[in-house]
Amino acid sequence: MMHQEMKPVDTKQIKEMLNRKKGKMKRYLSYCAHCSLCAESCFLYMAHDQDPQYMPSYKVIHSLGKLYRKRGKVDRKSLMEMKGIVWRNCVLCGRCYCPIGIHIPSMITFARSILRSQDVYPQLDEASSESWL
Amino acid sequence: MCYFVQGPLVLIAGIIFILGLLYQGIQFFKLTKKKEWGVPPSSLEIKPQKQTKKQWVREALRTLNGTLWKTDPVLTIVTSVFHVCLIIAPLFLLGHNILLDQSWGLSLFSLPESVSNFLTLLVLICGLYFLGRRLFMARVRAISTVYDYLVLLIAVVPFLTGFLAYQQWLNYQTVILLHILSGELMLITIPFTKLGHMLFFFLYRFFIGSEYSFVRGSRTW
Repeated sequence: MMHQEMKPVDTKQIKEMLNRKKGKMKRYLSYCAHCSLCAESCFLYMAHDQDPQYMPSYKVIHSLGKLYRKRGKVDRKSLMEMKGIVWRNCVLCGRCYCPIGIHIPSMITFARSILRSQDVYPQLDEASSESWL
Repeated sequence: MCYFVQGPLVLIAGIIFILGLLYQGIQFFKLTKKKEWGVPPSSLEIKPQKQTKKQWVREALRTLNGTLWKTDPVLTIVTSVFHVCLIIAPLFLLGHNILLDQSWGLSLFSLPESVSNFLTLLVLICGLYFLGRRLFMARVRAISTVYDYLVLLIAVVPFLTGFLAYQQWLNYQTVILLHILSGELMLITIPFTKLGHMLFFFLYRFFIGSEYSFVRGSRTW
Protein backbone atom coordinates (compact mmCIF):
# COMPACT_ATOMS: atom_id res chain seq x y z
CA MET A 1 0.00 0.00 0.00
CA MET A 2 2.75 2.43 0.99
CA HIS A 3 4.67 1.52 -2.15
CA GLN A 4 1.59 2.32 -4.24
CA GLU A 5 1.21 5.73 -2.67
CA MET A 6 4.86 6.78 -3.09
CA LYS A 7 5.42 6.09 -6.79
CA PRO A 8 4.93 9.06 -9.17
CA VAL A 9 2.17 8.70 -11.77
CA ASP A 10 3.39 8.14 -15.33
CA THR A 11 0.78 10.31 -17.07
CA LYS A 12 2.50 9.82 -20.43
CA GLN A 13 2.01 6.07 -20.21
CA ILE A 14 -1.64 6.51 -19.18
CA LYS A 15 -2.20 8.83 -22.14
CA GLU A 16 -0.62 6.31 -24.52
CA MET A 17 -2.86 3.56 -23.19
CA LEU A 18 -5.94 5.77 -23.46
CA ASN A 19 -5.08 6.67 -27.06
CA ARG A 20 -4.68 3.01 -28.01
CA LYS A 21 -8.39 2.31 -27.43
CA LYS A 22 -9.66 5.84 -27.96
CA GLY A 23 -11.90 4.99 -30.94
CA LYS A 24 -13.94 2.45 -29.06
CA MET A 25 -13.90 3.81 -25.52
CA LYS A 26 -14.55 7.45 -26.38
CA ARG A 27 -17.54 6.39 -28.46
CA TYR A 28 -18.87 4.21 -25.66
CA LEU A 29 -18.47 7.08 -23.20
CA SER A 30 -19.94 9.75 -25.41
CA TYR A 31 -23.02 7.76 -26.44
CA CYS A 32 -23.92 6.72 -22.90
CA ALA A 33 -27.26 8.48 -22.43
CA HIS A 34 -26.84 8.55 -18.61
CA CYS A 35 -30.25 6.86 -18.38
CA SER A 36 -29.30 4.62 -15.42
CA LEU A 37 -31.12 1.65 -16.94
CA CYS A 38 -28.03 -0.48 -16.37
CA ALA A 39 -28.51 -0.15 -12.58
CA GLU A 40 -30.73 -3.14 -11.86
CA SER A 41 -28.56 -5.48 -13.90
CA CYS A 42 -25.77 -5.11 -11.30
CA PHE A 43 -26.20 -7.42 -8.33
CA LEU A 44 -23.88 -5.25 -6.21
CA TYR A 45 -26.18 -2.27 -6.79
CA MET A 46 -29.14 -4.34 -5.69
CA ALA A 47 -27.25 -5.80 -2.70
CA HIS A 48 -26.11 -2.37 -1.49
CA ASP A 49 -29.60 -0.96 -1.04
CA GLN A 50 -29.59 0.50 -4.58
CA ASP A 51 -26.68 2.83 -3.80
CA PRO A 52 -25.99 4.82 -7.04
CA GLN A 53 -22.24 4.34 -6.51
CA TYR A 54 -22.66 0.73 -7.57
CA MET A 55 -24.42 1.49 -10.86
CA PRO A 56 -22.36 0.23 -13.81
CA SER A 57 -22.59 3.63 -15.54
CA TYR A 58 -21.47 5.45 -12.37
CA LYS A 59 -18.45 3.17 -12.07
CA VAL A 60 -17.43 3.76 -15.69
CA ILE A 61 -18.01 7.53 -15.63
CA HIS A 62 -15.93 7.94 -12.46
CA SER A 63 -13.06 5.74 -13.55
CA LEU A 64 -12.40 5.48 -17.30
CA GLY A 65 -14.57 8.52 -18.02
CA LYS A 66 -12.50 10.60 -15.61
CA LEU A 67 -9.24 9.35 -17.16
CA TYR A 68 -10.40 10.43 -20.64
CA ARG A 69 -11.82 13.74 -19.38
CA LYS A 70 -8.48 14.60 -17.76
CA ARG A 71 -6.54 13.16 -20.73
CA GLY A 72 -4.62 10.91 -18.35
CA LYS A 73 -3.38 13.79 -16.20
CA VAL A 74 -4.46 12.38 -12.87
CA ASP A 75 -2.76 12.23 -9.50
CA ARG A 76 -2.21 9.18 -7.34
CA LYS A 77 -5.09 10.13 -5.04
CA SER A 78 -7.51 9.94 -7.99
CA LEU A 79 -6.07 6.59 -9.04
CA MET A 80 -6.51 5.26 -5.50
CA GLU A 81 -10.16 6.38 -5.56
CA MET A 82 -10.64 4.63 -8.89
CA LYS A 83 -9.11 1.48 -7.43
CA GLY A 84 -12.05 1.17 -5.05
CA ILE A 85 -14.52 1.79 -7.88
CA VAL A 86 -13.17 -0.75 -10.37
CA TRP A 87 -12.11 -3.49 -7.95
CA ARG A 88 -14.25 -3.20 -4.82
CA ASN A 89 -17.47 -1.94 -6.43
CA CYS A 90 -17.26 -4.26 -9.45
CA VAL A 91 -16.48 -7.95 -9.65
CA LEU A 92 -16.51 -8.04 -13.48
CA CYS A 93 -19.22 -10.67 -13.57
CA GLY A 94 -20.22 -9.30 -16.99
CA ARG A 95 -23.94 -9.22 -16.29
CA CYS A 96 -24.40 -5.47 -16.78
CA TYR A 97 -26.86 -4.62 -19.51
CA CYS A 98 -26.99 -1.40 -21.52
CA PRO A 99 -30.04 -0.76 -23.73
CA ILE A 100 -27.90 1.16 -26.23
CA GLY A 101 -25.47 -1.75 -26.45
CA ILE A 102 -22.44 -0.29 -24.68
CA HIS A 103 -20.16 -3.06 -23.43
CA ILE A 104 -19.54 -1.94 -19.87
CA PRO A 105 -17.27 -4.81 -18.68
CA SER A 106 -14.69 -3.99 -21.38
CA MET A 107 -14.50 -0.44 -20.04
CA ILE A 108 -13.97 -1.55 -16.43
CA THR A 109 -11.34 -4.06 -17.64
CA PHE A 110 -9.53 -1.30 -19.48
CA ALA A 111 -9.64 0.99 -16.43
CA ARG A 112 -8.16 -1.84 -14.35
CA SER A 113 -5.33 -2.30 -16.90
CA ILE A 114 -4.48 1.39 -16.73
CA LEU A 115 -4.46 1.37 -12.93
CA ARG A 116 -2.35 -1.78 -12.90
CA SER A 117 0.20 -0.07 -15.18
CA GLN A 118 0.64 2.47 -12.37
CA ASP A 119 0.96 -0.26 -9.72
CA VAL A 120 -2.50 0.47 -8.40
CA TYR A 121 -4.33 -2.75 -7.58
CA PRO A 122 -5.73 -4.43 -4.48
CA GLN A 123 -3.16 -6.26 -2.42
CA LEU A 124 -4.01 -9.12 -0.14
CA ASP A 125 -1.87 -7.82 2.72
CA GLU A 126 -3.38 -4.36 2.43
CA ALA A 127 -4.18 -2.85 5.82
CA SER A 128 -7.37 -1.01 5.03
CA SER A 129 -10.26 0.04 7.16
CA GLU A 130 -12.50 -0.32 4.11
CA SER A 131 -14.24 -3.60 3.58
CA TRP A 132 -13.64 -5.20 0.19
CA LEU A 133 -16.76 -7.25 0.50
CA MET B 1 -31.26 36.65 -40.55
CA CYS B 2 -34.79 35.22 -41.02
CA TYR B 3 -34.02 34.39 -44.64
CA PHE B 4 -30.78 32.65 -43.67
CA VAL B 5 -32.44 30.54 -40.94
CA GLN B 6 -35.40 29.58 -43.14
CA GLY B 7 -33.37 28.96 -46.29
CA PRO B 8 -29.66 28.13 -46.55
CA LEU B 9 -29.28 27.05 -42.91
CA VAL B 10 -31.89 24.30 -43.38
CA LEU B 11 -29.82 22.90 -46.22
CA ILE B 12 -26.54 23.30 -44.31
CA ALA B 13 -28.04 21.55 -41.25
CA GLY B 14 -29.36 18.72 -43.43
CA ILE B 15 -25.99 18.25 -45.13
CA ILE B 16 -24.10 18.29 -41.79
CA PHE B 17 -26.61 15.76 -40.40
CA ILE B 18 -26.24 13.33 -43.31
CA LEU B 19 -22.47 13.73 -43.77
CA GLY B 20 -21.93 13.57 -40.00
CA LEU B 21 -23.86 10.31 -39.69
CA LEU B 22 -22.03 8.91 -42.74
CA TYR B 23 -18.65 9.85 -41.22
CA GLN B 24 -19.55 8.25 -37.87
CA GLY B 25 -20.84 5.14 -39.63
CA ILE B 26 -17.68 4.78 -41.75
CA GLN B 27 -15.48 5.30 -38.67
CA PHE B 28 -17.45 2.59 -36.87
CA PHE B 29 -16.96 0.07 -39.69
CA LYS B 30 -13.25 0.96 -39.90
CA LEU B 31 -12.80 0.45 -36.17
CA THR B 32 -14.68 -2.85 -36.14
CA LYS B 33 -12.94 -4.54 -39.05
CA LYS B 34 -11.82 -7.47 -36.94
CA LYS B 35 -14.24 -10.36 -36.89
CA GLU B 36 -13.24 -12.41 -33.90
CA TRP B 37 -16.59 -13.13 -32.40
CA GLY B 38 -17.23 -16.81 -32.95
CA VAL B 39 -20.65 -17.39 -34.38
CA PRO B 40 -21.42 -21.12 -34.67
CA PRO B 41 -22.21 -22.28 -38.21
CA SER B 42 -25.92 -22.50 -38.82
CA SER B 43 -25.64 -26.27 -39.42
CA LEU B 44 -24.66 -26.72 -35.75
CA GLU B 45 -27.50 -24.65 -34.43
CA ILE B 46 -30.38 -26.32 -32.72
CA LYS B 47 -33.38 -25.71 -34.91
CA PRO B 48 -36.33 -24.49 -32.89
CA GLN B 49 -39.34 -26.75 -33.03
CA LYS B 50 -42.44 -25.52 -34.80
CA GLN B 51 -44.57 -23.65 -32.31
CA THR B 52 -48.27 -23.17 -32.13
CA LYS B 53 -49.49 -19.56 -31.89
CA LYS B 54 -50.23 -20.04 -28.19
CA GLN B 55 -46.72 -21.35 -27.54
CA TRP B 56 -45.23 -18.46 -29.50
CA VAL B 57 -47.15 -15.89 -27.43
CA ARG B 58 -46.11 -17.63 -24.20
CA GLU B 59 -42.47 -17.69 -25.33
CA ALA B 60 -42.59 -14.00 -26.33
CA LEU B 61 -44.02 -13.03 -22.94
CA ARG B 62 -41.37 -15.13 -21.20
CA THR B 63 -38.63 -13.35 -23.18
CA LEU B 64 -40.19 -9.99 -22.37
CA ASN B 65 -39.90 -10.80 -18.68
CA GLY B 66 -36.12 -10.93 -19.04
CA THR B 67 -35.97 -7.40 -20.44
CA LEU B 68 -36.29 -3.88 -19.03
CA TRP B 69 -40.03 -4.39 -19.22
CA LYS B 70 -39.72 -6.41 -16.01
CA THR B 71 -37.46 -3.97 -14.11
CA ASP B 72 -38.93 -0.64 -15.24
CA PRO B 73 -42.17 -1.02 -17.24
CA VAL B 74 -43.11 2.69 -17.03
CA LEU B 75 -39.80 3.87 -18.45
CA THR B 76 -39.89 1.14 -21.10
CA ILE B 77 -43.24 2.45 -22.34
CA VAL B 78 -42.27 6.13 -22.03
CA THR B 79 -38.94 5.73 -23.84
CA SER B 80 -40.50 3.63 -26.62
CA VAL B 81 -43.34 6.13 -27.16
CA PHE B 82 -40.89 9.06 -27.01
CA HIS B 83 -38.51 7.64 -29.62
CA VAL B 84 -41.22 6.44 -32.00
CA CYS B 85 -43.11 9.75 -31.86
CA LEU B 86 -39.84 11.70 -32.17
CA ILE B 87 -39.28 10.13 -35.59
CA ILE B 88 -42.87 9.85 -36.85
CA ALA B 89 -44.20 13.30 -35.86
CA PRO B 90 -41.78 15.48 -37.88
CA LEU B 91 -41.48 13.08 -40.84
CA PHE B 92 -45.20 12.78 -41.49
CA LEU B 93 -46.25 16.28 -40.50
CA LEU B 94 -48.46 17.96 -43.10
CA GLY B 95 -46.72 21.35 -42.78
CA HIS B 96 -43.25 19.83 -43.31
CA ASN B 97 -44.44 17.83 -46.30
CA ILE B 98 -46.05 20.87 -47.94
CA LEU B 99 -42.75 22.76 -47.56
CA LEU B 100 -40.85 19.79 -49.00
CA ASP B 101 -43.30 19.61 -51.93
CA GLN B 102 -42.99 23.33 -52.60
CA SER B 103 -39.19 23.34 -52.61
CA TRP B 104 -38.24 19.92 -54.05
CA GLY B 105 -41.49 18.64 -55.50
CA LEU B 106 -41.48 15.51 -53.33
CA SER B 107 -43.22 14.66 -50.11
CA LEU B 108 -44.02 11.82 -47.76
CA PHE B 109 -47.38 10.59 -46.60
CA SER B 110 -48.94 13.07 -44.15
CA LEU B 111 -50.81 12.27 -40.97
CA PRO B 112 -53.93 14.26 -40.08
CA GLU B 113 -52.98 17.40 -38.18
CA SER B 114 -54.80 16.32 -35.02
CA VAL B 115 -52.77 13.07 -34.95
CA SER B 116 -49.47 14.94 -35.43
CA ASN B 117 -50.50 17.33 -32.69
CA PHE B 118 -51.21 14.41 -30.36
CA LEU B 119 -47.85 12.77 -31.17
CA THR B 120 -46.05 16.06 -30.46
CA LEU B 121 -47.86 16.31 -27.15
CA LEU B 122 -46.74 12.77 -26.33
CA VAL B 123 -43.09 13.73 -27.03
CA LEU B 124 -43.45 16.70 -24.67
CA ILE B 125 -45.03 14.62 -21.90
CA CYS B 126 -42.31 11.96 -22.23
CA GLY B 127 -39.64 14.70 -22.24
CA LEU B 128 -41.14 16.06 -19.03
CA TYR B 129 -40.98 12.58 -17.52
CA PHE B 130 -37.28 12.31 -18.45
CA LEU B 131 -36.62 15.72 -16.89
CA GLY B 132 -38.45 14.73 -13.69
CA ARG B 133 -36.49 11.49 -13.54
CA ARG B 134 -33.21 13.35 -13.95
CA LEU B 135 -34.13 15.88 -11.28
CA PHE B 136 -35.72 13.70 -8.65
CA MET B 137 -34.35 10.15 -8.96
CA ALA B 138 -31.16 9.78 -6.92
CA ARG B 139 -29.57 7.25 -9.26
CA VAL B 140 -30.13 9.37 -12.38
CA ARG B 141 -29.12 12.56 -10.60
CA ALA B 142 -25.87 10.89 -9.51
CA ILE B 143 -24.69 10.66 -13.11
CA SER B 144 -26.37 13.76 -14.56
CA THR B 145 -24.41 16.76 -15.75
CA VAL B 146 -25.42 20.10 -17.32
CA TYR B 147 -24.68 18.46 -20.68
CA ASP B 148 -27.44 15.87 -20.10
CA TYR B 149 -30.02 18.59 -19.48
CA LEU B 150 -28.79 20.45 -22.55
CA VAL B 151 -29.15 17.36 -24.75
CA LEU B 152 -32.71 16.83 -23.47
CA LEU B 153 -33.44 20.49 -24.21
CA ILE B 154 -32.05 20.19 -27.76
CA ALA B 155 -34.30 17.16 -28.36
CA VAL B 156 -37.48 18.64 -26.92
CA VAL B 157 -37.41 22.35 -27.89
CA PRO B 158 -38.24 21.74 -31.61
CA PHE B 159 -41.40 19.91 -30.48
CA LEU B 160 -42.32 22.52 -27.89
CA THR B 161 -41.95 25.40 -30.37
CA GLY B 162 -43.73 23.36 -33.06
CA PHE B 163 -46.63 22.75 -30.71
CA LEU B 164 -46.78 26.43 -29.73
CA ALA B 165 -46.64 27.48 -33.39
CA TYR B 166 -49.49 25.10 -34.34
CA GLN B 167 -51.65 26.41 -31.50
CA GLN B 168 -50.65 29.97 -32.50
CA TRP B 169 -49.89 30.79 -28.88
CA LEU B 170 -47.36 33.60 -28.23
CA ASN B 171 -45.89 35.53 -31.15
CA TYR B 172 -46.14 33.22 -34.17
CA GLN B 173 -43.23 34.72 -36.14
CA THR B 174 -40.82 34.44 -33.19
CA VAL B 175 -41.98 30.94 -32.26
CA ILE B 176 -41.71 29.59 -35.81
CA LEU B 177 -38.23 31.09 -36.18
CA LEU B 178 -37.20 29.45 -32.90
CA HIS B 179 -38.77 26.20 -34.15
CA ILE B 180 -36.73 26.20 -37.35
CA LEU B 181 -33.56 27.21 -35.51
CA SER B 182 -33.94 24.54 -32.81
CA GLY B 183 -34.72 21.89 -35.45
CA GLU B 184 -31.54 22.83 -37.32
CA LEU B 185 -29.54 22.76 -34.10
CA MET B 186 -30.89 19.27 -33.37
CA LEU B 187 -29.93 18.00 -36.83
CA ILE B 188 -26.42 19.47 -36.57
CA THR B 189 -25.78 18.08 -33.08
CA ILE B 190 -27.10 14.52 -33.65
CA PRO B 191 -23.91 13.06 -35.19
CA PHE B 192 -21.54 14.70 -32.72
CA THR B 193 -23.25 14.44 -29.33
CA LYS B 194 -25.02 11.87 -27.15
CA LEU B 195 -27.92 12.14 -29.59
CA GLY B 196 -25.71 10.03 -31.87
CA HIS B 197 -27.16 6.98 -30.09
CA MET B 198 -29.80 7.32 -32.80
CA LEU B 199 -27.26 5.68 -35.14
CA PHE B 200 -25.11 3.80 -32.65
CA PHE B 201 -28.01 1.94 -31.06
CA PHE B 202 -28.49 0.08 -34.36
CA LEU B 203 -24.77 -0.35 -35.06
CA TYR B 204 -24.06 -1.76 -31.57
CA ARG B 205 -27.10 -3.99 -31.33
CA PHE B 206 -26.99 -5.36 -34.90
CA PHE B 207 -23.34 -5.48 -35.95
CA ILE B 208 -21.24 -6.03 -32.82
CA GLY B 209 -20.97 -9.65 -31.75
CA SER B 210 -22.37 -9.80 -28.25
CA GLU B 211 -24.72 -11.66 -25.98
CA TYR B 212 -27.17 -8.80 -26.44
CA SER B 213 -27.01 -8.59 -30.25
CA PHE B 214 -30.44 -8.58 -31.84
CA VAL B 215 -29.09 -10.58 -34.78
CA ARG B 216 -25.95 -12.66 -35.33
CA GLY B 217 -23.55 -9.70 -35.27
CA SER B 218 -19.93 -10.73 -35.69
CA ARG B 219 -17.93 -7.51 -35.78
CA THR B 220 -15.58 -6.67 -32.95
CA TRP B 221 -13.54 -3.61 -31.99
